[in-house]
Amino acid sequence: MSKHPGVSEYVNTAHNIGRIGTVIAIAFMLGIPLVLCAIYDIMPSFNQVVVGAMGLLTMYVPTALSEVISFTPMLGSSCYICFITGNVQNLKIPCVLNALDLTGASQGTDLGDAVSCIGVAVSSMVTMIVVALGVVLLTPLQPILTHPMVKTATAYMLPALFGSLVVGTIMGKKSGDYMIQNKPLAMVPPLIAIILFNYLIHPIKGKEGFALLACIPLTLLSAYIFFKKGWIKVTPIKKD
Amino acid sequence: MGFLEVMNSKPLYIMVMIGLGYVFLMCVFMMQRAWKHCLSLGMTKSQLMDIVKSSTIYTIIPSLSVVIGLFSLSTVLGVPWSWFRLSVIGSVSYELVAADMAAIGAGYDSLAALVAANDVSVVGSVMLSMSIGIIGGVVGCLFIGKKIHLSTMEYSASNGEWGALMMACFTMAMHSVFLPARSIFMGSVATATLLTSALCTYLHNWAVKKYGIRWLSNFTMADSLIVGMASAILWTNLLG
Repeated sequence: MSKHPGVSEYVNTAHNIGRIGTVIAIAFMLGIPLVLCAIYDIMPSFNQVVVGAMGLLTMYVPTALSEVISFTPMLGSSCYICFITGNVQNLKIPCVLNALDLTGASQGTDLGDAVSCIGVAVSSMVTMIVVALGVVLLTPLQPILTHPMVKTATAYMLPALFGSLVVGTIMGKKSGDYMIQNKPLAMVPPLIAIILFNYLIHPIKGKEGFALLACIPLTLLSAYIFFKKGWIKVTPIKKD
Repeated sequence: MGFLEVMNSKPLYIMVMIGLGYVFLMCVFMMQRAWKHCLSLGMTKSQLMDIVKSSTIYTIIPSLSVVIGLFSLSTVLGVPWSWFRLSVIGSVSYELVAADMAAIGAGYDSLAALVAANDVSVVGSVMLSMSIGIIGGVVGCLFIGKKIHLSTMEYSASNGEWGALMMACFTMAMHSVFLPARSIFMGSVATATLLTSALCTYLHNWAVKKYGIRWLSNFTMADSLIVGMASAILWTNLLG
């Protein structure tokens, strides 16, 4: 039995496996440069590494942590593969939402966690295969994929992605065993806050992770107030 | 041997392939567990295959943008390390900034200056700095991922209707930030692209509902992404 009430053994074990897998992945990330330096006898000094890494850590650790806090409730136990393989926002989150949508499973449930994991694992493997093919076909593919038209199209990949995702979220009323009416209402206050903050105080470009961290409590508060007022209605789905 | 010779060396290729092979196997293992668990919870193989198909189709297009990044990154960091970085955690924007900062930390004006100097002594500091700088998300996930996920899961399970709504709030908070950030904050072309993709998703959902063509839902996200990105070329010519 799981020591967390309401959490299955599957989810518990998935976290434990994910943690062990992450430690090994970190060993690869740091081990490959170290072994290469040992082979060619070019080991850097501790100071050289610290000087290079310090600025990056200062810049990226707060953003990375805010992403872990914000995205993990959505990703569930697949968060380990997600953060190891990267592209969380543009590849993994859409695949999780799509997998939940296709199966009608809900985030935060045992089934939701398992279907999310399938979506994330498939997406990670496909990306790895596509990039590997890119390495093999580096020379013939380069002129096609660096064509100005392709560059323009890929520059607008994220707007195209979020356009699709937001419609799915607004139109989707089912959340596991419940139907949620007027769910998008909860998005309105944080949306207004973000727009006002961006234009009146400071542009959020590059700081979306922090903005998301601030928006989560605001969305929860809005949803709670609207739920209590009866503007957002949650009803259990009757099972035959 | 110079910087680029070491960065394109055989030992690095071998280590990168082993590292990527490990990450790939981790994905296979996690997916296999999730698959069995879904079947035990009553899902059918065809439902799970829908997730696989949909995630695969959707992932290919954004992965091509990773391949485009590979072309630019490999010219300055060699092929194998760029391949590894873009398959594990990284994104093109991070890797270029990280390599540049590591080069500056090593005493050069820029990454380009380092490559021109072909200084082999900085290989280790560049590679290690890049790995350490981006590791925050993975390490954060290792320590707090399980706690965040299980806490939200338990809270959601013990709070019935409000719990179901609460879990939906994380996705809505994400849209509150990224909807304006990927449209009006980016300009008219991005806004038009987002709207085109949203319309495409809406039409797909409408067709699925109206004509009962369930298989079409597997293509909703991929189609909307392609249509949205293609429309960006048109919008750039009209509005850009």
